[in-house]
Amino acid sequence: MLNQLMNMIFTTSFGYAIIRITSPILFAALAAVVAEKAGVTNIGLEGTMMFSSLFGVLFAYWTNNWLVGVLAAMVVGILIALVMGIFALKLKTNIILAGTAINIAGSGGTIFLLYLFTGLRGNTANLTTPQMLTPKINIPIIKDIPVIGAIFSGHSILTYVSFILVIVVWILLYKTALGLRIRAVGENTNAADSVGVSVLKTQYIALMISGALSGIGGAYMSMYYSQSWNTGIVAGRGFIALAARAMGQGEPVGAMLASLLFGFASALGNKMEGLQGFSSYLVGAIPYAVTIIGLSIYAVTQLKKSRKKS
Amino acid sequence: MENKHMMAFEFIRGFVAIFIAILVAFIFIFISADDPGKALNCLLIKPIISNGALNIKSIMTILGRTTPIIFTGLAVCVMFSADQFNLGAEGVTMLGGFIGALIGIYVPMAAGIHSVVAVLIAAVVGGLVMIVPALAKVKLKASEMVISLMMNYVILYLVLHFLNNVFADRSKGATQTFPFEATAKIGTVVQGTELTYGFFIALIATVIVAIFMYRTRWGYAIRMIGINEAFSKYSGIKVGAIIVASQIIGGVLAGAGGAIEVLGRDISFRWLDLPGYGWTGVTVAILAKNNPIMVPLAALFIAYLNRGCELMSIYAGVPAEMLDIIQAVIFLFFAAEQFLAKYRQKLVVKDAKEEISMKGEKA
Repeated sequence: MLNQLMNMIFTTSFGYAIIRITSPILFAALAAVVAEKAGVTNIGLEGTMMFSSLFGVLFAYWTNNWLVGVLAAMVVGILIALVMGIFALKLKTNIILAGTAINIAGSGGTIFLLYLFTGLRGNTANLTTPQMLTPKINIPIIKDIPVIGAIFSGHSILTYVSFILVIVVWILLYKTALGLRIRAVGENTNAADSVGVSVLKTQYIALMISGALSGIGGAYMSMYYSQSWNTGIVAGRGFIALAARAMGQGEPVGAMLASLLFGFASALGNKMEGLQGFSSYLVGAIPYAVTIIGLSIYAVTQLKKSRKKS
Repeated sequence: MENKHMMAFEFIRGFVAIFIAILVAFIFIFISADDPGKALNCLLIKPIISNGALNIKSIMTILGRTTPIIFTGLAVCVMFSADQFNLGAEGVTMLGGFIGALIGIYVPMAAGIHSVVAVLIAAVVGGLVMIVPALAKVKLKASEMVISLMMNYVILYLVLHFLNNVFADRSKGATQTFPFEATAKIGTVVQGTELTYGFFIALIATVIVAIFMYRTRWGYAIRMIGINEAFSKYSGIKVGAIIVASQIIGGVLAGAGGAIEVLGRDISFRWLDLPGYGWTGVTVAILAKNNPIMVPLAALFIAYLNRGCELMSIYAGVPAEMLDIIQAVIFLFFAAEQFLAKYRQKLVVKDAKEEISMKGEKA
């Protein structure tokens, strides 16, 4: 059995699957990183992705253009972030509760809105046309290299965007004035305030960036991964992203590695499902269990570090 | 500022929040329903009055539907009071329901004690499970929120695994367990409604939790930690132990609620997804402002809306999921500390002026 498993892991399709599964979590994990850097815990990622995945598909359908869909998903993500911002920052709702409300609205509200706009119940499978789906890209030169080409070429354009965004977010946080302000606000609100950084404005901006990132993540789900929208489309990825952020020490690159770990566990699960004697349900639990264990291990190492310091 | 004005303010604030939510509902109904008047009637009036008379059956059903969300509401109340954002009530409710069902099927016992034992064991398992995020928080300083969220999915898949691969009744079309023994059933108060004796257990649980939170040292400690953890620590409260305890209590309540719901409402275990009661429990706790005694009232409100939305979807074609949007709107405004803050400021000033003038009169 182990042999069988090994044969499955060392295939190019397995590598391809890891990247494909990692990408949406990576979008959301980067969203969590940016928000948390400004001291805002965005637990509403799950709900935001629900809304943006729905409106991505709808706008792509109405215009028959995937790019419009992706942009609409981003805008919807930003709008939801603004709602969270108004409640959390202006009206002083606890940010975790504001996010929870977004998630509650996202779980059933999307079903309602889908019906409101299209009369459809529960999924958009009938609407899908090839023009609505984000195109796959074959990278010249790389696509012809054996093994590497099969793993890294031929993904959705958004997949590449997600990995490029890791660098973009890192540059944003560490090489720009805005990034400096975001980190300052997150590390010490009062100090940032005292040197003239507008705390509220910075947190609003961070939340909106977070909303836009998770918005693309939503679009990825409905306009590539599942090829249409359905009620269980996000399936906890927004929550996993929070875990990935924590495991990745709140840094873009760390979050990417943690997302890849989740992608690996998930792809492994998918492969094992096909094997005799493995329960698809038990396998379904693996990524989440891995996340709990990973978080705990990370917490232990952090604790040891801080003990050494003191 | 324990005075009439402030009480009135809190009341008005809640009222305005609900009013805004209903307004949002109106707007959606006018857009989506063919006959908005009929839809509104279904949402607001039909749950209790139909054909000009009180609809007793529907009222009983509403009461019955409060049962699981009273339990999760109480669980969330206790955990949030200690400032622990444990969101695992969702998964633990499902696990409690499953465990309760298994005891009801495979461990024969005498009538009377069977259901009691099933619920108690489900409660204990629920409490044990919550030790995971609690210890992770206290011992490892890992986020109880993230761990509990992940745990919900682990529980979901574990339950589905055992349901499908071990305990499934293959003679039935839909995935479910074998039926419970009659001795394990929690009885229905009035046949044909959803009101079971579980509702009364929920009310008793409410009283117990309220007494625990406001009349015992542990309850006091939980609330103090929520208000100021550092202060609690320096005043000698064992913060770690209390934080763990608060989450175990949350788990016990959610686990018991799950078992009571399954043994009361169904004849076999057939949940194939997370039930959603954990999240509704968060809404209930927010509406109740973390005060256990207000939980049944908040649950009643949500159950009423739930029934209204259900009727609306049956008779007026508006999807019942609109409830989630209404719920989120109320939730957001209730939890917003600064909502109507300017108005509160005016009241405070008014109070102060009155006080000064009264003192002036005395002198």
